[in-house]
Amino acid sequence: MSEAQTSENSPIVQRENTKLAMWVFLGGEVVFFISLILLIIFSRLTQSDYETEFRLHLSIPLIALNTFILVTSSYFVVRALEAIRIDDNGKALRNNLIIVIILGLLFLGGQAFEWISLFNEGINLSSTFGSPFFTVTGIHGTHVFVGILWVIYLLLGHRRIPFTKENNLGIENFGLYWHFVDIVWIVLFTVIYLV
Amino acid sequence: METPKRSNYLIVFIILMVSTLTETLVSYLHPEAIKISLLAVMAVLKVALVLLFFMHLRHNSKIFSYLFIAGCILVIPLILVITIVMPMIA
Repeated sequence: MSEAQTSENSPIVQRENTKLAMWVFLGGEVVFFISLILLIIFSRLTQSDYETEFRLHLSIPLIALNTFILVTSSYFVVRALEAIRIDDNGKALRNNLIIVIILGLLFLGGQAFEWISLFNEGINLSSTFGSPFFTVTGIHGTHVFVGILWVIYLLLGHRRIPFTKENNLGIENFGLYWHFVDIVWIVLFTVIYLV
Repeated sequence: METPKRSNYLIVFIILMVSTLTETLVSYLHPEAIKISLLAVMAVLKVALVLLFFMHLRHNSKIFSYLFIAGCILVIPLILVITIVMPMIA
């Protein structure tokens, strides 16, 4: 085997290739979510009654709390990665990931509560602003749910073959995904709720 | 890859929390122009912090940053189609 072939198959190159694939995926997600966010912006620009018909029904404090929860979960993801990459501490990794699951579930609970409140106030998928709102927040919520499943999968894998200081790419790639979901929410929080 | 220091994560986290709280308070401000400007600046700051520190773009290969930016640029044709071409067809 030539030297060039050996270097192409080295763990470092493989690691970078896997991360590259993750970033390519995230690049596609950027296009997808910006399109959805534009949907919200256009529906607001073409209708003048966003404030009275929709925004007044939104609970800013509740969603601010939900935003705190998601940002906090992102912090625990970096703590999890740090625990394994710097300290090689599998127990700390596990504990941080369990906190991420709890925070993710709390976020989804908050979103479910908001949806039920809006349904009770007569805002549903057929209303002018309800349609893009439920579509965008629903797709984002689905991403959070997938993230939670991903953490559970990582934890189960960690029980069989523990992550180590050298072998933690699964955690790093999950982290990229979770932080991206956090970024999307930061933008949605501003566009839908605050502006 | 250079790994950020442990303390940086906590500082970034605190800035994100304070920004979120500030954004929430700013959302009750008037006039709209000042409110929207402040909210846009804070949202961009928060997104940049997460990308640079939590997602390690500051320390990683530039190609990852380019991929993220490419995603943002690829949306421009879509915006043009929606805002210019679609109204012309309709």
